[in-house]
Amino acid sequence: MSRVVTVRRRALEASEERARGLRERFAQSGTLVVNIISSPGSGKTSLLEATVTRLAAGHRCAVIEGDVATERDADRIRALGVPAHQVLTGGACHLDARQIETALGAARLLPADFLFIENVGNLICPTAYDLGEDFKVAVLSVTEGDDKPFKYPAIFARAAVTVISKIDLLPHVPFDLAVVDERLRSLNPSATILRSSATTGEGIDAWCELLTARLTEKRRSCVST
Amino acid sequence: MSIALEIQRVCSDAVRQHGAGRIGSVRVAIGELAAVEPELLRFAWEAVVAGGPHAGSSLEVVWCPANQRCSRCGEVKDRATGSWLRICPDCGLPLDVTGGDELDVLDVTFTPDAEAQSDDAAGASADDAAGDR
Repeated sequence: MSRVVTVRRRALEASEERARGLRERFAQSGTLVVNIISSPGSGKTSLLEATVTRLAAGHRCAVIEGDVATERDADRIRALGVPAHQVLTGGACHLDARQIETALGAARLLPADFLFIENVGNLICPTAYDLGEDFKVAVLSVTEGDDKPFKYPAIFARAAVTVISKIDLLPHVPFDLAVVDERLRSLNPSATILRSSATTGEGIDAWCELLTARLTEKRRSCVST
Repeated sequence: MSIALEIQRVCSDAVRQHGAGRIGSVRVAIGELAAVEPELLRFAWEAVVAGGPHAGSSLEVVWCPANQRCSRCGEVKDRATGSWLRICPDCGLPLDVTGGDELDVLDVTFTPDAEAQSDDAAGASADDAAGDR
């Protein structure tokens, strides 16, 4: 005789519990944590290189890199004198909270003002996993096409910030910034949309100003609660 | 695949609390905004349970659409499944979007082991609503 047990539990409850623990830890250390998500090759690491270089005066940054294989990305960040830990997922298409806990144990990343988590290059799976971050950032390069926000809406609807990257290549590709702005707004009216080029440095100031403003906000609210 | 593994963990916990047994089927609520493709999840479930005590069990998806409501025009009609529209197509006001982010194990159907000893897992808490089917 078969029996039915009512469960009614979140499938990812264990992972969500870990994310809550991480969020508390980051609140205590006063660290702004940013989960960066994009397709492979959209320029996440280049954006991070420009970012940590710009923030280095006056702020301590740390980076967790997620990739299927190789230490390449972490090496690029370490070359700038910034502590970085490489998570190798061995085939998995996203990072989860357990891997962030492990990374914090394995490398001396905290205390830090900013912790950047560069997720595995993928616009789908990383969207579903909470890493204890303050907000998600989507990076969309102009070479990917301006229809990406409609084809992969979940990440663009959830990301508090979308960075349109490689805008120095705009003259060479069919990518309509106004159309993308409109599409992004229809998915996520409250999102901040920035434009950047890691090559020319355009837009990096505005992005770093946003980060430092969010850090100030977070520390103010952590103190008041 | 990792979502299927987590579902298996939650289900095994729930069954263990009622003695032990072999899972026949599980029902999972998937919201349309959860970024989970039902067919792929069913496939991943088969792969995850293969070769184990719950091999051959099935995963049933209860699809949960999101509700999109405009404060001026009311419910948004004729919406494409999976549409992420956050702005009313008629008046342009931001929509109130609720639900659709479900990723929940609803219930598990299992066959108790005749010779199973009850080895209750400590700590876990499933609703105690077991019944015969």
